[in-house]
Amino acid sequence: MSDTTTSQRPLACAGDMGNMFSTSLLNMLLSVLTLSIYRFWGKTNVRRQLWGAVRAWGDPLEYTGTGKELFIGFLIVLFAIYLPLVGGFAWAQVMLVSGNPLGALLLSGLYLLTVMLVSVGLYRARRYQMSRTVWRGIRGGQTGSGWSYALRTLVVWIAVPLSLGWAWPWGEMWLANYRFNNTTFGDRHFKCDATASGLYGRFTLVWFSGLIFVVAAGILAVGAASLVEQGEMDETTAAVAFALVLVPLAVLTMALPSAWYRAGFYRNLAAGTEFEGSRFSVDIRAWGLIGLVAGNMLISLFSLGVLRPMASLRTFRYGCSVIGVEGEPDFAKVLRAEDTGPSTGEGLVAVLDGAGEF
Amino acid sequence: MTLSEPQRPGRFSDGRSAASRKVVVRVLPSGLEIRGEDGFLIAVWKTDDLLADGEWPEKRGIRLRCASEPDARLAVEDAFVIRETLPKPPLRRKSRHTGLVLACLLGAAVLVGLMVGLAPVSKLLAHLVPAGLERQWGQSIATGLEGQMKPCEGRDGLRVLDALAQRLAEPLPADRRGVRVHVLKSKDVNALALPGGEIILFSGLISKAEGPDELAGVLAHELTHIGERHVSAAMIRALGVGLFATMITGDASGLVASGLGAALAGAYTREDESAADMGALDLLEAAGIGSDGLALFFRRLATMEERQGQMLAWLGTHPDSASRAAAVEARRLPAPRLPALSDADWQAVKKVCSKKSP
Repeated sequence: MSDTTTSQRPLACAGDMGNMFSTSLLNMLLSVLTLSIYRFWGKTNVRRQLWGAVRAWGDPLEYTGTGKELFIGFLIVLFAIYLPLVGGFAWAQVMLVSGNPLGALLLSGLYLLTVMLVSVGLYRARRYQMSRTVWRGIRGGQTGSGWSYALRTLVVWIAVPLSLGWAWPWGEMWLANYRFNNTTFGDRHFKCDATASGLYGRFTLVWFSGLIFVVAAGILAVGAASLVEQGEMDETTAAVAFALVLVPLAVLTMALPSAWYRAGFYRNLAAGTEFEGSRFSVDIRAWGLIGLVAGNMLISLFSLGVLRPMASLRTFRYGCSVIGVEGEPDFAKVLRAEDTGPSTGEGLVAVLDGAGEF
Repeated sequence: MTLSEPQRPGRFSDGRSAASRKVVVRVLPSGLEIRGEDGFLIAVWKTDDLLADGEWPEKRGIRLRCASEPDARLAVEDAFVIRETLPKPPLRRKSRHTGLVLACLLGAAVLVGLMVGLAPVSKLLAHLVPAGLERQWGQSIATGLEGQMKPCEGRDGLRVLDALAQRLAEPLPADRRGVRVHVLKSKDVNALALPGGEIILFSGLISKAEGPDELAGVLAHELTHIGERHVSAAMIRALGVGLFATMITGDASGLVASGLGAALAGAYTREDESAADMGALDLLEAAGIGSDGLALFFRRLATMEERQGQMLAWLGTHPDSASRAAAVEARRLPAPRLPALSDADWQAVKKVCSKKSP
């Protein structure tokens, strides 16, 4: 019956959309009134609701971060990193304009540094969120270093164009492995040995359908241009017709295959991840994923981002409904870790990225 | 044991491990006594230390924490009596609201300060930019434009234009007088003042101008932009707005910054244009040239706007031509003047873009 090999669904998400809706509106109102300084507290508020809605084995997750931590992290990065960086870019521009060859060198160096800093920031933001996630009084965490992660990201970004995209499944999985192997709960590490080997079938479809899309779009564009030139269509009709053909084509050749690939990616990743001997699984299907992503996009788009917390709640609900765990890990062995995590939060991402997920 | 000491089943996590064990909770007058199912005493939580930690929906129960054991978690079934004994949550809402109100007021004050102070401060800073740097900047833009569009090289015409610009520039500060006029081939009825002292005239403007006084009026207008360093001020304004927007929204993609900049740019540019029109009148008077030409030119632009039903390029960010003409006419200079250029010179200017010119 319930032996250790059966996969259960220990997570449940009971978040209330109505509450999230009013929280979203309140956050927007107060953000406008406070010149958006309130957003750190607003974000914290949303996270408390999201985390608190999730129950694992009957007990809720807790988010213990505070708005003040996010705000201080933001200020530190603003003055210690962002403003010097802007100054550096301005200086490089002046050098370029005055014909100094060092300007181009400085500029490309700064671009590289910025890209690296974004990766570092994303990794450190995850560390902050993990360390502020508590379940049954035990804290999560993340080890590893942001710079090491950023270097790996750089390797992937160099390898992907060099391999005409074929390095992507490997690179994506390699980075995910690093993140999950460094994820902790209490004094125990998650273990992740997921590989991209089973993903290349799906990726081949994505790659070739992408190629088909590019070629088809090119042919369509040339055809429309020649029709306009011959005077058989005026410019607006041609543009509308072009878009009308292109959008379904994009859905058919891009969205469907990549959703299929993405679902496979998450399945592989979950199947390769374990905690205290219990393996994870996700029951994700391409259509469910498309529904989730498309719905979230529409919500964010039509509310100009204001209702993004509701999109996040949809994601949480979906995640809880598909994540399975084989058996129950022996939680009695998981002890409190002494590391309390970073004291300030997410500054790098808050400044350099700005578009926080939730 | 009496009825006033009811026992409740519950679940308890001690905060040292992630285990959850079944317990029996007894309500004492002084607090809660938590025992294992084997009767072994686990903890005693004093009433004053109890903190409500949400509901336990499955068992119609309540979750509790204890201030002296912050990591431990207790969930008690059907906890009617315990709800009664819980201390009321402390009233700290009031202080939070004062903080929020203060933040809102501060936000409003900063916005007002920005709106009032932006123009004068950027003007002040623009005058601190070294003239050499401004000049270098303007020259590099001019070189770029000449590379993209075809420059007109009628030598006589350019010499006449330079001389006219020098004559008009007499009243400007010494470091602003080194003006150079460039003529570019374009149908646009447009002229640009670049920082430092480069003036760009599009050939469309020269062919639309019906007399030297009209051209002199346009040159005087652009010279005022140069004399009052409008371009540098606009640049500083945009930088300031952008930096500020980025700082408060945390959006480093520049989307918010450029949007806000564009929204503000229109208002400030119109102000600058009106100032330049008035400044042009002073320059014309000092050079002994009548203002009727400028007024005529605006009148002609106004009828062209009506006829074409669209804004001309030179008006994109400018006040509408009819009201500009009216403003110039209102300050009509009394005495009749000689034409700005001799007939021969005017013909040379008109021919500046014809290939035959020597």
